[in-house]
Amino acid sequence: MKAENINPFILSVTETFEHMLDCRLESGAPTCVPEESHQPDIIGVIGLSGTAQGIVALKLPVSTALAVVGKMIGAELRSVDTSIIDGVGELVNIIAGNAKVKFAGHSISLSLPTVVRGSIYKLNNLSNTVWLTVPFKSELGDFAVAVCFKAEVASKEEATHASVSRG
Amino acid sequence: MQVLVVDDSQIMRKIIMGALKKLGVNDIVEASNGQEAVEMLVKPSDIGLVLMDWNMPTMTGIEAVKKLRSDRVTVPVVMVTTEAEKEKVMEAIKSGANDYLIKPFNPKDIQGKLEKFLPAQKG
Repeated sequence: MKAENINPFILSVTETFEHMLDCRLESGAPTCVPEESHQPDIIGVIGLSGTAQGIVALKLPVSTALAVVGKMIGAELRSVDTSIIDGVGELVNIIAGNAKVKFAGHSISLSLPTVVRGSIYKLNNLSNTVWLTVPFKSELGDFAVAVCFKAEVASKEEATHASVSRG
Repeated sequence: MQVLVVDDSQIMRKIIMGALKKLGVNDIVEASNGQEAVEMLVKPSDIGLVLMDWNMPTMTGIEAVKKLRSDRVTVPVVMVTTEAEKEKVMEAIKSGANDYLIKPFNPKDIQGKLEKFLPAQKG
């Protein structure tokens, strides 16, 4: 993954939070590490396919997810329920949708979002890609967005290697 | 006059309905896919504006718009979607959608669409 390809996703996350949630974000430096966690997270995952391929994972600690989705609907949420799952899925859908139009000259489609909840998990990347993870700080809590992406697609089969495994 | 909110995401319907209520629109009905929306709209109703998602199971928003227009249902439809490419916007307008609102949006964006299609809501 070319490092500059992370920029449309960072911009999309920032725009989505500012525009929908009136929430300013502070982004940290992208890191290139395996996507594994041992913390309770809610993760929205969505696939990109077409002339570019990738996976976007929105990783929210439970407290951040409650605050973010609560702000989306103007309610105070105290526990993880279907609203949280639905909200995180919609959020990653909007982030990926907003990002894909920033790749000029590409025709990119989105998969339906999937939301995973767990404490121990590993996100498998697409073949020949690595995860770039960007941390964000906000008044609603800290969170991260991880992206693996390739604009030069060698074959359709490569897109099928992505999966989420839980432990 | 009613506003019909069509989205498979319950949370997105809540967000849109919340924005509508802040703008003084309280007569709101909802559907979770294009098929449900079509079934509501082909019958006589007070629905005067439809806010329609694009990507939904069972029947997509664009399929629903095509079906409505082929059935001569003329209610204004605003697509509310992440599909922001120019080609998608053109496809929607050619299919019979009246306007387009791209996610992410804020309440002011919805207000602009309301003022265009529901003049009585102005002010």
